[in-house]
Amino acid sequence: LSFLAVFVLAGAARIEAWPLTGWRLFSQQRAAQQVGWEAAGVDAEGVERPIPFGRLSHAYRGFVHVLTGFESLSPGRRQEVCEAWASAVAGLGAPVSEIRVYRVSADVSRRQGRRAAPPSARELRYVCPIEGSPRAAS
Amino acid sequence: VRRLESWLFAPGDPRRLAAVRIGLCAMLAARLTRGIYLELAQQPPALYRPISFMKLLDRMPPRGFVLALQIIGVAAAVVAAAGLRTRLALPAAWACGVALGGMTTSIGKVVHNDVMLLLAMVPLLAASSADAWSLDVRGAGKREPSVCYGWPLRVAMIVVAGGYFFTGLHKLINAGPAWVTSGNLRWILYISSDGQATPNPWALFIADRAWLAHLAAAGTLALEIGFPIVLWRPRAARLFLPGIVAMHLGIRLAMRLDYAPWIVTAVVVFVDWPGVLERVREMARLRMRAPAGTRIR
Repeated sequence: LSFLAVFVLAGAARIEAWPLTGWRLFSQQRAAQQVGWEAAGVDAEGVERPIPFGRLSHAYRGFVHVLTGFESLSPGRRQEVCEAWASAVAGLGAPVSEIRVYRVSADVSRRQGRRAAPPSARELRYVCPIEGSPRAAS
Repeated sequence: VRRLESWLFAPGDPRRLAAVRIGLCAMLAARLTRGIYLELAQQPPALYRPISFMKLLDRMPPRGFVLALQIIGVAAAVVAAAGLRTRLALPAAWACGVALGGMTTSIGKVVHNDVMLLLAMVPLLAASSADAWSLDVRGAGKREPSVCYGWPLRVAMIVVAGGYFFTGLHKLINAGPAWVTSGNLRWILYISSDGQATPNPWALFIADRAWLAHLAAAGTLALEIGFPIVLWRPRAARLFLPGIVAMHLGIRLAMRLDYAPWIVTAVVVFVDWPGVLERVREMARLRMRAPAGTRIR
C-alpha cells in the first residue's frame, strides 16, 4: 500500500524520481511555430554541415535536450559539449574545426513537399573552435 | 475504502500471478539484451544529464560494469521467469533493470519506455509469484487461491491503469481540450517526421488530414483517461486492450517510438492467462472427441 501511495503521489504531483514518474508524455500543447536549436560542424575548408546525430551512437541521441539547455551552461561546459560532438563526428571520418550553434524559428505547418519549409529565422548564437584543428590554430 | 480493500485483498489464482511473473520477467530479459546500454557507457561526461539516483554519478558507468549488469540482469530475469530461486532472482533482475534504465533516462529527457514494466514488477518483488508454473514447485500439489496471490496482481493492475490515466490527465491539465481541438497532434507528427532520416508516410498521412489528427488525439485521450474502467469492469479490457495496442503500434509506425514494454505489460497483467489456457484445452478436447469432418467453433 505504501508503494501505491508513492506511485499515486508521484503521478498526481508530477514528481520525477525514476522509475517513479509524473507521466508527462507529450502533455504540452505544441504550436505550429517552433523555436529550437541546431548544431553544425565546419570543416577545414570552411564548409558547414549539420552534425549527423542520427548516425551517431545512442550516447549522442540526447542532443536536442543538450542544445535546449546549451545557453544555461558555463562557457567551459559549452566548449566540452562541442568537443564531445566534434570528436564523435571525427569518428565518422569527417573532422571539424568549429562547431556552430544556431537558434532557429520555424513554422512546421508550412510544408515544402514532405518536409518542413526552411526556418523563418536562423541566428548564430555560439561558435566553438575545436582544439588542435587547423582553423582553430589560425 | 472498505470496497477498495476487499477488492485489493480478494483471493487470487496462483497461476494468474505466475503468468504475470513469466510475462514481465521475459519482457525485462528481452529489454536488457539491447545494445543501447553499452553505447551509453561510452558517452562523453560533458553530455551526461542524470536524473533521480543517477545524480550520484558524475558520468555514465563504465562499459565493463554495464556489461556485467546486463549479463546478471538477463540471467536473473530468465531464471525468475522459469521460477527458479525466484525470491532472489526476480529482485536481482529488477534492480539491474532499474540501474540500466537509469542510464537511458540520463541523456536529458525522462524516458518512459520501461517505467510501466518496472513499476508493474514492484509488487512481485515481495510476492509469492512462483507457487505455480515454476521450477521451484515442480511436482508439488496445486495451490488453492489465496489473498497472497491476489493483491500483487491487483497492485500491478492499478499501476498499469494508473499509468495510462495520469498520462491522459496531464495532457488535460497542461493543454486542456486544446490537446484535441487544436493542431497539437498535427504539429507533433510533422516535427517527428521532419526529425526522421526519411519523411514518415504514416505520420504525414495523419498530419495532412486535420480531421484524422483530431480523431486520433481524441481516441488517445479517451483510451488513457478511460483505462481505469477496466479495474471495476473487467470486460471493458476487451475494448481497452486492443485500443492501447493499436495506439502504441500507431505511435511506433508514425513516430518510431518503441512502447512494446507498455503493450506487453498491459496484456500480461490484464489477460486471464489460466482462463485462456483452459479454453484452449477445452477446444482441443472437443476437437479430439468430435467425429471426423465435424467443425468445432
